[in-house]
Parts: sequence; structure tokens; C-alpha cells
Amino acid sequence: MSGAAVTYSKPRLATFWYYAKVELVPPTPAEIPRAIQSLKKIVNSAQTGSFKQLTVKEAVLNGLVATEVLMWFYVGEIIGKRGIIGYDV
Amino acid sequence: MVPPVQVSPLIKLGRYSALFLGVAYGATRYNYLKPRAEEERRIAAEEKKKQDELKRIARELAEGCLSGNMCFSSNLPAQDDSILK
Repeated sequence: MSGAAVTYSKPRLATFWYYAKVELVPPTPAEIPRAIQSLKKIVNSAQTGSFKQLTVKEAVLNGLVATEVLMWFYVGEIIGKRGIIGYDV
Repeated sequence: MVPPVQVSPLIKLGRYSALFLGVAYGATRYNYLKPRAEEERRIAAEEKKKQDELKRIARELAEGCLSGNMCFSSNLPAQDDSILK
């Protein structure tokens, strides 16, 4: 039974690692200045009003990405409280 | 296969900061709630004990009444909410 599960999951695990090694790694210290630059660009676009030039599609995509980033907070909370639903006090 | 996407460093920084903040928030809130929950459980257990005691006395009173004796008992704990002040 578990042999079949291993055979099924091995290639999929390999695909997962193939993508995760590039997409899910934490930022290296060298990347942080670039991140701060991007943040400054966003703040600038909010200040100058150039964000109104975005298409709706771009805005929706940005909203989705922002939502995904915020969801990582709740994943962290699950890890911190050591339970999936509710605080097990 | 589609090549993996190069994720912007801002997004990576945001994700992992949110993760770290979430772990910190979950851990601190858990430590805040734990002693309060224990205190509440302790108080609930004491209340239950008092209620069980009162019920026991009421039950004994009822049995005393049924077996034909006079229906008062002198072993009630001091009640401080009497109307006959």
C-alpha cells in the first residue's frame, strides 16, 4: 500500500522541488536592497497617482499577489499556535 | 515543463516577513491565552463543586421531607443572600 503511494508521489515530489527551489526560497541578503527599491517604486506610484494608469487586469493580479502574501501570515500563525483551528489552551 | 518563475525579491521578502510575524503572533497569543484558560478552568471547577454541594444538600432535604420528618435542616452552609435581613 505504501509502496504504491511512494511510487505515485516520487515524480510529483520531484516536480514540486524543481519549482520550489526557485520560487519558494527565502530572499538572500543581496536581494533585499532590490526589494526595498521595488517598495519605493510602489510608494512613489501611490504618491504621484501613476497607479491609476494600471489596467484592471494588472490591478487584479496585483491584488491576488498581495492576498497570497498576506495569507502567509495566517500560515505562520498556525505554526506559532501549534494547531490548525483555534488555540489549544 | 514550464520553467519556474523568477519571483520578485519584494514578494519573497513580504512572504517570509509575513510568515515570521505570523509565527511570532501565534506564539505570543498562545502564551497569553494559556494561563487565562487555566484560571477559568480552575474557577469553573470550584463553582461546580459548590453547586454539587448545594445539590447534595437539597437532595438530602428532599429525602428528609419524603420520609415524614420535619422539613428543615440545620446543616445548611451560611447563606448570605437571605431576604429576611
